[in-house]
Amino acid sequence: MRVSVQAADYRGGRLTMTRKVISHAFFWIVLIMIAIFTMFPLLWGIACSLRSDTEIFKYARPLSYHTFVPVKFSLDSYIRIFRDFKFQRPLLNTFYVSAVTIIAGCLINSIAAVAFAKFKFKGKKIIFVAILISFMIPFESITLPLYSVVNSFHWVDTYTGLIVPCLADGLVLFLFNQFFKDFPESILEAAEIDGASIPKIYFKIIMPLSMPVFVTAALMVFMNEWNAYLWPLVIARSPGIRLVQIAIASFKMERVTLWSCLYAASIISALIPVVFFLPFQKYYVQGITSSGIKG
Amino acid sequence: MLIGPACILIVIFKLYPILRTLIEGVFYNGHWGLETYIRLFHDNTFWNSLWVTIKMNIVITPIQLVISLIFAFLVSTAVKGISVFRTIYYLPVTISLTVATLLWNMMFDVNSGILNSILNTIGIPNQGFFIDKKQALWCIVAIANWKGVGYWMMFLLAGLKGIDTSIYESAILDGATWFKRTIYITLPLIKNTILFVLVADTTSNMLLFAPMQIVTRGGPQGSTNVLMYEAYKSAFQFVDRSRSSAIVTILLIMIGTICVFQFKLLTTEEED
Repeated sequence: MRVSVQAADYRGGRLTMTRKVISHAFFWIVLIMIAIFTMFPLLWGIACSLRSDTEIFKYARPLSYHTFVPVKFSLDSYIRIFRDFKFQRPLLNTFYVSAVTIIAGCLINSIAAVAFAKFKFKGKKIIFVAILISFMIPFESITLPLYSVVNSFHWVDTYTGLIVPCLADGLVLFLFNQFFKDFPESILEAAEIDGASIPKIYFKIIMPLSMPVFVTAALMVFMNEWNAYLWPLVIARSPGIRLVQIAIASFKMERVTLWSCLYAASIISALIPVVFFLPFQKYYVQGITSSGIKG
Repeated sequence: MLIGPACILIVIFKLYPILRTLIEGVFYNGHWGLETYIRLFHDNTFWNSLWVTIKMNIVITPIQLVISLIFAFLVSTAVKGISVFRTIYYLPVTISLTVATLLWNMMFDVNSGILNSILNTIGIPNQGFFIDKKQALWCIVAIANWKGVGYWMMFLLAGLKGIDTSIYESAILDGATWFKRTIYITLPLIKNTILFVLVADTTSNMLLFAPMQIVTRGGPQGSTNVLMYEAYKSAFQFVDRSRSSAIVTILLIMIGTICVFQFKLLTTEEED
C-alpha cells in the first residue's frame, strides 16, 4: 500500500485524491476501532445486565447474535440488587460522604488558597511546599499509618473517619490557588475600602466570580470519592456504612455466580460519574491538565 | 488564620502518616534498628513481589505512554466530530478501577467469558487469563491500560494543543515528512508534558493494587503479588505493621529513584 501511495504522489491529479481518501478512511477506521474497543466492556456490561444469568451462560459460546443481544430483555437484575441486596444503602452512603466532602473540602481548600494567593505572611513558602509534598506522596502509601491515626481518634467505622482525612487535598488547594492568583486585585481592594469583612468578600465576591473553578474542584472531589477503594476498604468495614466500590467488590466475592446482578451494579456505579462528568467535561479536563502541567 | 483548617488537616492526615511510615520501618519490637529490613531481605516472598512489581512496571509504563501519545495525536487532528471520540476515549477514566476490574474479570472468564468465545471463533483454544500464572499479570496490565490511557492522553493532548503551528510551516516547506516532524519537532516540544506523564504514571502504576486485591489475591502462585498488595496483607492480614511500613518505604524510595532517573534522562536529551 505504501508503494502505491508514493507512486500516487508523483502522478498527481486524481491519484492524489484517491490517496487522500484512503488515508482519511484509514484515519476514521482506526478512530472507530479504538472507540469500539474502549466502549466494548461498558456496552457488553449493559447488554449482560439486561438479561438473566441462564441466558448469559447459555449463549456465551459459540459466538452468535444472541451472545451480544439478549433474547429476552429484563430489568430483573436491577430490581434484585435493590430489593434483595440493598444496593441503595452503599449508593446513598457514597452520595452522603461525597456531598459532605465536596462542600467542606471546597470551603477549606479554597479559603486556604485565597490566603496563599492574596496575602503575605511568615513562612508562606515553606507551608506551601509542605502542601505540595503532601499531594505528591500518593495516598495509597500512607493508608496504613493513616489508619492508626484515625484509629486513635476512634473514628474507624464512622462517617467522620471516611470524610475528615480526605477534606484537605493538596491538589484541589493547588487548583484553587492557580485560579485565585489571576483574580483581579482591584476588585478586592475596592471591597476592602468599602469596609467589607473577609468572610463577606469571600462569599459575596470571590465565590460567585470563581464558579468554574469551584465546579471543577467539586467534580474532582466527587470522582475521587465515588471511585475511592483502598481508604473506604480499610476504614469503613461494617456493611452499614460501606461505600459503593467496596459493596460491589464484596458482592463479587460473596456471590460469584450472579453475573447479571454484578453487571447491573457495575453499570450503575460506572454511569453515575459519567452522568456528572459529561456536562462539565471541558472544565474538568482543563482543570486537571492545567494543574498537572503547571505543577 | 485562614489557612489554619487546611494546614492542620494536612499535617495530621498527610504529613504525619508519611513520617510515621518512615519511622515504623526502623522500629522493631520497641527499639530502633534495621531488623525489619534484614528480615525482609531474607524473605523470598519479598523478592518475588519486588520482581513482579518491577516486571509489571517495565512493561506497563512505556506501553501506556506510547498508546496515550498515539491517542493524543489521533484526537488532536482538527476534524469535525473529533470531540466525540475524545470523550469516548476518556470515558474509562471516569470508571473506577474496581468496576473496570470486575467487568474485565467476567470477560476474561475461562468458561463463559466473551474473550475466550471470540478467540475460539478465530480458532484459538481457551486461554487461562487470570487463572494462568503466566497470563494473570498481563491481564491486569491490560485492564490498567484500558482505564489509564485516556487520562494521560488528555495531558499530552493539552501539550500538543499548546504548540504554535507556525513552527511546522517551514518544516513542511523543507519537505519533512509527518514522521520526521513528529520526532524532531513535536516530541521535543512537549517534552515537559511527557516527563510529567511519565513520572505520574510510574507513581500510580507502582501502587496499583485493587485488581490484585479483588480478583487474583496475589496469585496464581504469587505471580501478581505486587509490593503494594504485600504491604496491605502485612498490615491487615498478618498484623505486622513494621513489615508493611518497610515495604511502603522501599516502594517510595523506588518511585523516587525512578522519577529522578526519568528527570535526568529527559533533561540530557535537551543538551544534545
